Amino acid sequence: MLSIFKSIPSHMDYKGQKLAEQIFQGIILISAVIGFVYGLIIEQFGWTVYIVLAGFVVSCVLTLPPWPMYRQNPLSWQPIIPETSAEPSQKPQEALKKKKHK
Amino acid sequence: MNTVLSRANSLFAFSLSVMAALTFGCFVTTAFKDRRVPVDIHVSKVMLKNVDDFTGPRERSDLGFLTFDLSSDLQPIFDWNVKQLFLYLSAEYATRSNALNQVVLWDKIVLRGENTKLNLRDVKSKYFFFDDGNGLRANKNITLTLSWNVVPNAGILPLVAGSGHVSLPFPESYETTKSY
Repeated sequence: MLSIFKSIPSHMDYKGQKLAEQIFQGIILISAVIGFVYGLIIEQFGWTVYIVLAGFVVSCVLTLPPWPMYRQNPLSWQPIIPETSAEPSQKPQEALKKKKHK
Repeated sequence: MNTVLSRANSLFAFSLSVMAALTFGCFVTTAFKDRRVPVDIHVSKVMLKNVDDFTGPRERSDLGFLTFDLSSDLQPIFDWNVKQLFLYLSAEYATRSNALNQVVLWDKIVLRGENTKLNLRDVKSKYFFFDDGNGLRANKNITLTLSWNVVPNAGILPLVAGSGHVSLPFPESYETTKSY
């Protein structure tokens, strides 16, 4: 069951994580300011809460799923070095270690 | 690790912090407001009896009956940090044995959104006006005051006395209980 969830890709790259964080903080702060002013004007604190909740839902939709805009700067990993290209001088040492271990 | 769950966690925590800050802001905007309004109290009938007080010291105690009119506009008290008002009418007087006696005679809850114009005629007191002795007879100065608790969304629970109280003397003699 859990393996099904784990198989869904959900990661963001580092710049995407930063962007997601800035987006949800911005949305919630803006909705908080709007809600506070609106609630103060119509004298209903309940509407302040509703507007902040709406901001929460919007930022959930925008930043929880790994949208493509958060994955535009993938890390450039070193390419896989084929084993045959390893230096020959190290080989015997590794062989020795393996032997010792056994 | 930045996963969906960790993002949801930080998003939720941030929203809660913002909400707490807003609630505090709501408290600050109303904390220094004057919640007194003028109240007009008029006592139309006073009756005094001397009856057995079975709850008290097993002696005959003074029991007062009041009929009063009450009018006030409570609209200025309400704002976005008020959920309800608890109004109560209390009588204050001094007797030989106690310097200050306070008895609650009547109360009422006014919820937000209800009619805030208080206009009551010939209301009988809700609770017994019992003295713990004979301090009501010929008492020259019994003061009725309307006070209220303001129940807020956030912050302190202020107790406000309405401006405008009425003082009245009580009768010199007891009303005799008629037997039918």
